[in-house]
Amino acid sequence: MDYDKLLNMAAELGYQLMYSGAEIYRVEESARRLLYAYGLENPEVFAIPNCVIVSVDTPEGHPITRMRRVPPHGTDIELLERCNGLCRRLCAAPPPIEEAQALIAALPEDEPRYSPRGVLLGYGVAPAFFAPLFGGGLADLVSAFLCGSAVGVCLLYGGRFIGANGFFRTAVSSALASLLAMALVAVGVGESVDVVTISTLMVLVPGVALTNAMREIMAGDTFSGLSRTADAILVASAIALGAAAGQALGGFF
Amino acid sequence: METLFYDYVVPCVCAFLACVGFTLMFNIHGMGKLIAGVGGALSWLVYLLAGSTIFAAFLAAVAIGVFAEIMSRVRLCPVTGYVLVALLPLVPGGGIYYAMRHCVAGETQRFLSTLLHTFGMAAALAVGAMLASSVFRAMFPRLRRTGKG
Repeated sequence: MDYDKLLNMAAELGYQLMYSGAEIYRVEESARRLLYAYGLENPEVFAIPNCVIVSVDTPEGHPITRMRRVPPHGTDIELLERCNGLCRRLCAAPPPIEEAQALIAALPEDEPRYSPRGVLLGYGVAPAFFAPLFGGGLADLVSAFLCGSAVGVCLLYGGRFIGANGFFRTAVSSALASLLAMALVAVGVGESVDVVTISTLMVLVPGVALTNAMREIMAGDTFSGLSRTADAILVASAIALGAAAGQALGGFF
Repeated sequence: METLFYDYVVPCVCAFLACVGFTLMFNIHGMGKLIAGVGGALSWLVYLLAGSTIFAAFLAAVAIGVFAEIMSRVRLCPVTGYVLVALLPLVPGGGIYYAMRHCVAGETQRFLSTLLHTFGMAAALAVGAMLASSVFRAMFPRLRRTGKG
């Protein structure tokens, strides 16, 4: 058996899972089960939010290790479900390694994705329907839709101008949201600055980071849980900072 | 009848649609979209019925945890997506915003109380959903399948 290929395959699966936003225990468990299915005695898998390490012993007793660094990523539930399903199939009936490698490598390619326009629609629709939940009327719903779409454009296409720094990106989006909310209320489209701003900020809020953090802590991965908690707090501060800057800026006009 | 409609039905429909909007961002397709939306509506309904307090948020999170566990068993797929989306309407975005407003205005007392309330909400959500999940899993262990992923 080719141990190098086996190692690469398990590391790739771990990487894909991590990239889709899976929990730490799922990443570790899936890669380990896959290696068990190929008859390895005691494979070791270790993951933290931005790194996956897989280590196996060859029959001669020579340890080999592969590490994959995971770049900043969003949440992609479709990819997560596909990885999970594929891992289950591979473990139930392990095909030749090359075939399995090709299947794992093909995961991100033939996955259905929403077009950028569809995602943008999501960025508009979500804040729009949060407005009534926070006590806004129809006017606020329309303004929140516009603000949310602007934030979506900023996040989807603005990467070139505001860089890939998550903290800064959130702060800029949040500033844009509060500035635009004030402008829309000033020209009479919206009714309440607070409602429109809060509805728009809901798309930036670290709900995912928070839920993931608690999940890791409950699963016993305290280290990853703490780093995700820090992430959630940082995002929340970025939102507050951005909104404050936006309102201060809006106050001048 | 009319108050029932405006107080409960309209907000739940809005929560449903907002969550469906979020599924576009998280790349959820097919049935998952519907499940996430219903989860969001359910969480908001429980939150409203229980009185919109921190404890209400806890109860709503428990409802989501149980709902998502049931759905993940029905569909045989990870529970992650449904919990993430369904909890989003309850995440205290307003808390962060008002805390910032009070902080900038120099109202320390109100800033601190809003901040603590925000943290309370966040903790209630996280603990509620995870507790419900863990208890549910302990009570109804997943059926053993060959090569569970």
